[in-house]
Amino acid sequence: MILCLAAALPLAAQQYDLLIRGGRVIDPANEIDGVMDIAVQGQAIARVARDIPATQAKKIIDATGAIVTPGLIDLHAHVFGYSGSIFPDDTALYAGTTTVVDCGGAGWRTFNEFKETLIDQAQTRVLSFINIVGHGMIGEPYESDVTDMDPEKTAAKMAEYPDLIVGIKTAHFTGEGWPAIDAAIKAGELSGKPVIIDDKIFTNTGRTSKEKLLGKMRPGDLHTHAFNDRQVEIVSRFNGKVEPYVWEARKRGVLFDLGHGGGSFMWPVATKAAAQGFYPDTISTDLHTSSIMGPRSDMPNCITKMMALGMGLPDAIARSTVAPAKAIKKFPALGTLGEGKEADIAVFRVEKGVFALMDAWKKKLLATEQLTPILTVRAGKIVVDVEGLGFPEWQEAGDYVSIP
Amino acid sequence: MFRFPRLAPSAWSARLLLGIVAALLIAPQSAAAQTATAQTATPQQVTAAEPVVYDVLLKGGHVIDPKNGRNARLDIAIVGGRIHRVAEHLPPAQARKVVDVSDYIVTPGLIDIHAHYDVSGPSLSLNPDHNSLRNGVTTAVDAGTSGWKRFEEFKKDTIDRAETRVLALLNIVGAGMYGSGEGEPENDVAEMDVDAAVRMVKKYPNIIVGIKTAHYQPADWEAVDRAVKAAELSNTVLMVDFHPKPGRGYEELILKHMQPGNIHTHFYGRLTPQIDENKRVQDYMWKARERGVLFDVGHGSGSFWFRIAVPAIQQGFLPDTISTDIHKSSIMLPHATLTNVMSKFLNIGMTLEQVIERTTVNAAKAIRRYDLGNLDEGSVADIAVLEVERGRFPFVDSGRAKHIGDRRLNAILTVRAGEIVWDLKGLAAEEFSNVGPYSNFK
Repeated sequence: MILCLAAALPLAAQQYDLLIRGGRVIDPANEIDGVMDIAVQGQAIARVARDIPATQAKKIIDATGAIVTPGLIDLHAHVFGYSGSIFPDDTALYAGTTTVVDCGGAGWRTFNEFKETLIDQAQTRVLSFINIVGHGMIGEPYESDVTDMDPEKTAAKMAEYPDLIVGIKTAHFTGEGWPAIDAAIKAGELSGKPVIIDDKIFTNTGRTSKEKLLGKMRPGDLHTHAFNDRQVEIVSRFNGKVEPYVWEARKRGVLFDLGHGGGSFMWPVATKAAAQGFYPDTISTDLHTSSIMGPRSDMPNCITKMMALGMGLPDAIARSTVAPAKAIKKFPALGTLGEGKEADIAVFRVEKGVFALMDAWKKKLLATEQLTPILTVRAGKIVVDVEGLGFPEWQEAGDYVSIP
Repeated sequence: MFRFPRLAPSAWSARLLLGIVAALLIAPQSAAAQTATAQTATPQQVTAAEPVVYDVLLKGGHVIDPKNGRNARLDIAIVGGRIHRVAEHLPPAQARKVVDVSDYIVTPGLIDIHAHYDVSGPSLSLNPDHNSLRNGVTTAVDAGTSGWKRFEEFKKDTIDRAETRVLALLNIVGAGMYGSGEGEPENDVAEMDVDAAVRMVKKYPNIIVGIKTAHYQPADWEAVDRAVKAAELSNTVLMVDFHPKPGRGYEELILKHMQPGNIHTHFYGRLTPQIDENKRVQDYMWKARERGVLFDVGHGSGSFWFRIAVPAIQQGFLPDTISTDIHKSSIMLPHATLTNVMSKFLNIGMTLEQVIERTTVNAAKAIRRYDLGNLDEGSVADIAVLEVERGRFPFVDSGRAKHIGDRRLNAILTVRAGEIVWDLKGLAAEEFSNVGPYSNFK
């Protein structure tokens, strides 16, 4: 035994590249919620355990008092195609978000350009819900052109990039009836992947929330913009109750996604739904140029809003990590701090104070705590470190050039 | 904007006016008195006597407006997108919206004279609005991301669409920042067409404020000299990014090649010999400053080092302008937003007033946009509301070392052309529970 230890020591000296120590690790996929250390070796998580010796790591981050989670997954973002799309690294990585799913920016005609100009360039892991519209999300008349909604060609592009394209998006269809949703679901059937729906329920569309949720959507399909009363009627306009068909849809396995956005998060809807115990299955941002300004709806902001609505922090982290990973069928590769997985890690502080949380109408709800991102690790590398936790003070660093 | 309803002239007032005219003709000596009495009854005069309605009143903030020597608790009234009045105790009853900013500093909208926002161009650029307005910046100068060849595309895709006022320093390289490796455009003297650059500057005098040269590798003066020439011919400013080489020294750059009013950016860069081995500021730095050469921070991912900036500031060599060089990599670890860069200087020996001066009036002067960087009554209402937060705040530099400071500037609220475009603390927002029902359903 002693011999074994002695033999192991030289190897143990600095076997890890990075050690995040002493934080409260919330990793719902592995049912972890407690003070733990996380060791990273190369691009992967090497060990999650209590009291990993500091001597075993080249770089140590003291996360005492902080929250450590898997890198967040935002399954509804806009980084390509759409005119309000926004480059992800400065917005996502700064928000503890290591994976974004572009929600319908590219269609089968534009996916290759999307891959070359954006997916391959960004440090953020970028995935895609491909738009059922071949031209992608480029406004009218394209998005309502049923002749450009080709399930076969869409499914063929998905088969070409099975790791990057995680499902199909349909959105903004202004015509009557079900052709857009039917085409998207057809592509979903051909590819075996989920559909995410953003569909307005104006009175003259010939569509109802009930038929959409119960008659059209399959288990595993997602409806985004859950707390907007224009996209899906979660809460009855007449009696304020969560509609029975919504509970029934949830029982069937239809998923409800937050998709906060610039116009899709409404306190009157959210507070009523939450009071009845109805929360979104997945927390996502619909982040784009305008939503990041007014409501500032990045992932930590959306999580903070869910907490203000009564959702516990561990639950909110689950709906921002393991739940979206499962929804896009990327679990257990993503959304977990499992040993051997790619090291995407986020570190936050829970700040106490008074925080104004804005909805789409610029109306505020005052909250007493806020989740603030401070450090992000992407594929084993520290990419954001607001507090410089991973770096020395300059007075101690001599004639430093670039500290690793 | 509210206006008092204009009354249709009635028969009696028309008769009264006729009477005044008659009185003027008959008795010129008493005309003034009569007119004054008569005019109080005219509709126009009623309008003027009615108080102006402010669109927004920023109440009770500590206003720091270096151009106008203001450093006091003052209110700011905004009417029609412009600054109407800056004074004590402006009446809240006259305002449609009153925003209590008494916990904060209120300054002219900040100006970042070195940014990269040519989103449809070279890959280093970021989106301007959220990186500017969320940091109190209302005017950002794109520093040479594009040259004359694609400037108009940059204008159409980004400048014309941004809420931020985006101005530009045109790269002397026609192609813009498309690489400075071997054989790439930024090293190609043939790309540096002075006349073409000057023509483009003159075509957009309200947007292009000058010329930029950067990243040129060969050890000669071609890039700098052509850029100086283009700035001269277009009568605009020049910003220089320069790495010294044997035969192309820094002293010669700032004492001979650069002209008064030209700006050297990245002057805290590790490869710029601004201090000697004993960390003493070189004599030629002071001489160049005396000549009128300006020194700009341009923090970036490789141009701000505490080990250089701290001794220089201790010796009194302060930057003329504070800017970010914000782009895809400087935004990451060093987090070079303007409030972050200002906070760094606030924590290494500069005062709040000095830091604000260098991001408002000094920045405006450096790019010769004297209309900007101030809270003049009548000027476009670009305003930043900043918080000086106290606590323990580490800041990371380009070399990834940190300085632990005790103050941090946070951008709380930003007004651009009279509109509140950023409101971190919801100061201008109502609580949802205090307003009636609202819905998106149609």
